[in-house]
Amino acid sequence: MRYSPTLIDHFLNPRNAGLMRDPDGVGEEQDAGCGDLARFFLKSARGVVSDVRFQAYGCGPTIAAASAASELITGRALGDVTHLEATEVERAVDGLPEDRKHAADVVARALRAAARACLGGAPEGG
Amino acid sequence: MTRRVYLDHNASTPVHPEVVADMLPYFGEIFGNPSSVHAFGREAREGMDRARERVARFLGASADEIVFTSGGTESDNLAIKGLAYARGRGHFITSRIEHHAVLRACQWLETQGFEVTYLPVDELGMVDPGDVKRAIRPDTIGITIMHANSEVGTIQPIAAIGAIAREHAIPLHVDAVQTFGKVPIDLDAMGIALLSFSGHKIYGPKGVAGLYVRKGTKMVTIQHGGEHERRRRAGTENVAGIVGFGKAVEVRARDMAGEAVRLAALRDRLWDGIRARVPDVKLNGHPTDRLPGTANISYRNVESESVVLGLDLKGIGVSAGSACTSGSVEPSYVLVAMGVALGWAMGAVRHSLGRSTAADDIDYVIESVEPIVKKLRGALPVGAR
Ligand SMILES: Cc1ncc(COP(=O)(O)O)c(C=O)c1O
Repeated sequence: MRYSPTLIDHFLNPRNAGLMRDPDGVGEEQDAGCGDLARFFLKSARGVVSDVRFQAYGCGPTIAAASAASELITGRALGDVTHLEATEVERAVDGLPEDRKHAADVVARALRAAARACLGGAPEGG
Repeated sequence: MTRRVYLDHNASTPVHPEVVADMLPYFGEIFGNPSSVHAFGREAREGMDRARERVARFLGASADEIVFTSGGTESDNLAIKGLAYARGRGHFITSRIEHHAVLRACQWLETQGFEVTYLPVDELGMVDPGDVKRAIRPDTIGITIMHANSEVGTIQPIAAIGAIAREHAIPLHVDAVQTFGKVPIDLDAMGIALLSFSGHKIYGPKGVAGLYVRKGTKMVTIQHGGEHERRRRAGTENVAGIVGFGKAVEVRARDMAGEAVRLAALRDRLWDGIRARVPDVKLNGHPTDRLPGTANISYRNVESESVVLGLDLKGIGVSAGSACTSGSVEPSYVLVAMGVALGWAMGAVRHSLGRSTAADDIDYVIESVEPIVKKLRGALPVGAR
């Protein structure tokens, strides 16, 4: 199997999948190459992520990365999430094959956008 | 994950035990070069001759019309380039849904000054013989249309195309890699001048295949060297592989008809079971004029690769219609040519059944796929695609 047991576990049992009714911020990103899509809904309390839901369309790794990242950022300061790196998301699924790195990338970008939206919707600089 | 169900027989098949048994001596005591004149060489040649006879008999051809090659890919290349280079210039007719072995050989010919027409197909994956007729030009030197496509299994109206080819005295090459040994082929009634067929799709070994070349067809070799295969394909033959191929053909001749009926029933059981349980599904390809063991099913708005992964984790081997390679997902060019909408094409999964497939395997697949698709759709963003 080319995927880690952690990735497979998140793929088979996605955490926090689904819609959120009244989020404080929503972020969505699409991979320009393969069209994989991730959307995150965040709720925050005192500047910290208190709840998260995601929706994703794409290959197994994208769904797994979204699930793992949703656990990763729960309880984290919104300011930190605006700097979330794809490498950290990748570590959360115990690595990705070279041709699936985009999964962590699209998830990290969507989460950064959602955190920024929570903080007042400032667009990403650069 | 103890249970394993292989539903990817269009990709390759396990070698039949009777085939293995026939091949074994050719890895041991019978090792001579079939071109050698001594007894060691003659023994090897006898095995090869017997295989050639079996293949020829199965096709209703004569033994000297059969050329052994290293695979369906080589057979396609030899047929197309062999026709082209024997004429030096001219025009080919093919279709947009051919295997890459044909498509890329044709594209190569275009870089060498030949011209090629790539015919469209309808929504069921059929080439219109009328389109073939209309595409013929005074300088058309070859027509190459596959018998059945590996992804969707639609069987082409070869006899009608062959009649047109014959009327215009243009050689017709048919890539029958997916049909040989699975559905009947009548070389004369279908007007076929060249036919490609391969061992590993019919429980023979990999890396051995054949090209039928009708007597009198003008063509040249594309691989130069010794006098092998009547100077049509140089190189010491893969004797053990050819012996196995011959046996595989013999076994198919015996089992083909019954197997086709059995597989068609299982294939329909799979589709009926899935469509009864999973909403928003569609069968790709022709509903009846189709390979007996092939069911290509689209799950709308789901990416096929994640279905393939989910089934793989259940021990089930199927293949995805779309391929995510080097960061870009391409829907299958075959489904695109058929005009299948993107939201459907991206979710296409091919199931190809075979000898080992039993009814309870099919039921296991049906049971397994339902929760996978449900879960994937549960995580789907509203308005995605
Ligand atoms: C229609 C068709 N042509 C040609 C080939 C190539 O055959 P081989 O794998 O023997 O090179 C295949 C194999 O998938 C095929 O399906």
